[in-house]
Amino acid sequence: MDAVEKANAERQKRWVKDQKVGEGTYAVVYRGREAATGRKVAIKKIKVGQFKDGLDMSAIREVKYLRELHHQNVIELLDVFSSKTNLNLVLEFLDSDLEMIIKDRSLVFLPADIKSWMAMTFRGLEFCHRNWILHRDLKPNNLLVASDGQLKIADFGLARDFADPGYKMTCQVITRWYRPPELLFGSRYYSSAVDIWSVGTIFAELMLRIPYLPGESDMDQLKTIFRALGTPTEEEWPGHTKLPDYVPMGLFPKTPLRDLFTAASADTLNLLSKCLIYEPRKRITAREALHHSYFTALPYPSHPSKLPKCTTQLAAHALEEVDGNVTMDSTGPGVKAKNGRLKRKLSSPSDDSKTRSIARRLDFTKHTPHS
Amino acid sequence: MAAETVASPPVPPPKQPLYEASTQFRNWRYSPEQLSAIRASLNAAAVAVIRQTFEVEEPGSSSIVSFLTPDEELLLVKLYVTKITQLCGLFRFPEEVEATAITYLKRFYLRNTVMDWHPKNVMLTALFLATKTTNNPISLETYTTHIPKTAPSDVLDLEFLVAQSLGFEFAVWHAHRALWGLCLDIQNLPDCPSDTRELYDAALKHIRTSRLTDAELIYTPAQIALAALSLAAPELAHQWSISKMPPDAPHTSRLSAETLPSIMDAIKSLITSSGHPPNIDSVREVDRRLKLCKNPEKVVGSQAYLAKKAEQEKKAEEKRNKKAVAVEQAIADGDPFGNELAERRPGLVDYDDDDDD
Ligand SMILES: Nc1ncnc2c1ncn2[C@@H]1O[C@H](COP(=O)(O)OP(=O)(O)OP(=O)(O)O)[C@@H](O)[C@H]1O
Repeated sequence: MDAVEKANAERQKRWVKDQKVGEGTYAVVYRGREAATGRKVAIKKIKVGQFKDGLDMSAIREVKYLRELHHQNVIELLDVFSSKTNLNLVLEFLDSDLEMIIKDRSLVFLPADIKSWMAMTFRGLEFCHRNWILHRDLKPNNLLVASDGQLKIADFGLARDFADPGYKMTCQVITRWYRPPELLFGSRYYSSAVDIWSVGTIFAELMLRIPYLPGESDMDQLKTIFRALGTPTEEEWPGHTKLPDYVPMGLFPKTPLRDLFTAASADTLNLLSKCLIYEPRKRITAREALHHSYFTALPYPSHPSKLPKCTTQLAAHALEEVDGNVTMDSTGPGVKAKNGRLKRKLSSPSDDSKTRSIARRLDFTKHTPHS
Repeated sequence: MAAETVASPPVPPPKQPLYEASTQFRNWRYSPEQLSAIRASLNAAAVAVIRQTFEVEEPGSSSIVSFLTPDEELLLVKLYVTKITQLCGLFRFPEEVEATAITYLKRFYLRNTVMDWHPKNVMLTALFLATKTTNNPISLETYTTHIPKTAPSDVLDLEFLVAQSLGFEFAVWHAHRALWGLCLDIQNLPDCPSDTRELYDAALKHIRTSRLTDAELIYTPAQIALAALSLAAPELAHQWSISKMPPDAPHTSRLSAETLPSIMDAIKSLITSSGHPPNIDSVREVDRRLKLCKNPEKVVGSQAYLAKKAEQEKKAEEKRNKKAVAVEQAIADGDPFGNELAERRPGLVDYDDDDDD
């Protein structure tokens, strides 16, 4: 055996693959563990043979960036190995994501909780930007949450470097509702400010508990943005009418954020508005955001371990526990894997999990004396 | 309870040098002695294996083979470094692609030998991979139709091996980028000409030359950039170093004022002494001998290759059979997904794994 093959085989032996927990567009995800320590991991198996251009760009980007980035708020890539024609990424195992948490109606978010999630998001993002990496797909579903409550930025399949200013990039990035106006107008020269806009819309979503700017098409997205924040003037955003895909959208008046976010503090709205400034160059940076008074003012951010946790995830665990004894339907082995976490985005909290979350909520109040 | 968070507002940790956190810094830097040792041991191991294979096919046959030496292997690799440059010119790929592909090729041969894998296809694969990792992808079809006598499979067959040999560490820090930063920085020096473009171009030539050497495997991009600038404009480079490292500064800095001159001299002499394309006749001779001493197990279609394939297939078959028996046994026990079983033999519940895809 070649030295390279041998090294790979050794790596492979370090990890044990257990059951399938999910499926993305280009990968199947398994739960697994480190053989020596039993540490729980996620193994993302990417089939390579199926692409006519070889290793797929998303996989390449994900591996390239995660190999370099090590930060508490960025998902950790523990290892990479190959098996036959598959690429296996060993990632830290994360129980849930912010989308599940936002959608879980049984959870109550305190301002301190939102502040904590925002702090962790900005910390992770500041680290990416400091390393000259744009994420380009921030959304609640890509902010994963560990069992200890730590938030981790994940899914670097669209990420790229931006060290070269004035380098033309594609504007077809970022899921629509989280996409900034400059990209919707077709700007090809953009910066880390695109990620900040996404964080702003996530910030709003955490307060509203529904997507803040849910456009129905790319065109409608601009309208939705302008309806919420007012049509930008030339003074506010110089040159935007010259962008490649600019179209006049009609004049929408500015309504104060306060009208929608009635309960938010002045600091909160100030930071939110700075994330959603039209002119990308004036938008706050991740580094500046971390120094914003929102984060130093009361209430202090909740400790990650005290943040609301998803109940669907608890339900999924329960399912996993009975897995072994219950024969699912009767269609055979494949079914079992599909039941657990695969549908976690769709599943609603069971009655059982509701009682748990109420218990948690009481618990939570007890531990948050500041509020 | 939340006291720890209160005490530590979400301010990022102090800036750690980014380059020093990179995989390049941690995994791909060597001393010249280490490089020779690695190449010698890869070469020796390959020779031993190939000799053995020859002997199995025909006892006594290996004694007449003249295997390549580590230096000869290196010479061949160097030739293919120059081919990357040619192809990048043909495709008009950005500098980033070229520099990255060259790095990949060099790193590949710190894990493999040319007697196992001929650099021609490895080079084509490294370049194709580099277009993707630097975000300048083109379709494989476009790529191979523009290169004579090249089929898509020549590239695809090796892509995984190349990626694996690189440890899937695709990000590369380049000296030409460091040079760009350096040229912005020297504009603050009093003696700097108002237009640094000419200077930059002159220094860039030296950086391109350095790609033909081991420099990037030994020195940091910043060191190579400074050496290149020093070859182009010695006085300015000197002033810049002094401005960055006053002689009375604490010598904790990595690029300390004391060691810097000797590092600069070493890089400069490396660039001037080995920074030229290899002599075509000597490479041709090496390549001719390589045809006779390459590993037959890696030559698609050869007897040894087929034998190895058959052996691998047999092993896989055995594994599948063993697994099937185990699953059958489990079903017979009436508890195919049993907890107990799952705990005792974790592999068994993994019926959905990739053995058969
Ligand atoms: N680190 C992880 N820990 C635990 N489960 C994970 C982890 N990463 C992914 N999963 C699970 O696997 C599923 C698929 O993940 P993947 O990242 O491949 O795709 P996705 O982000 O859901 O979708 P897409 O590929 O379309 O972006 C996720 O929905 C999740 O259930």
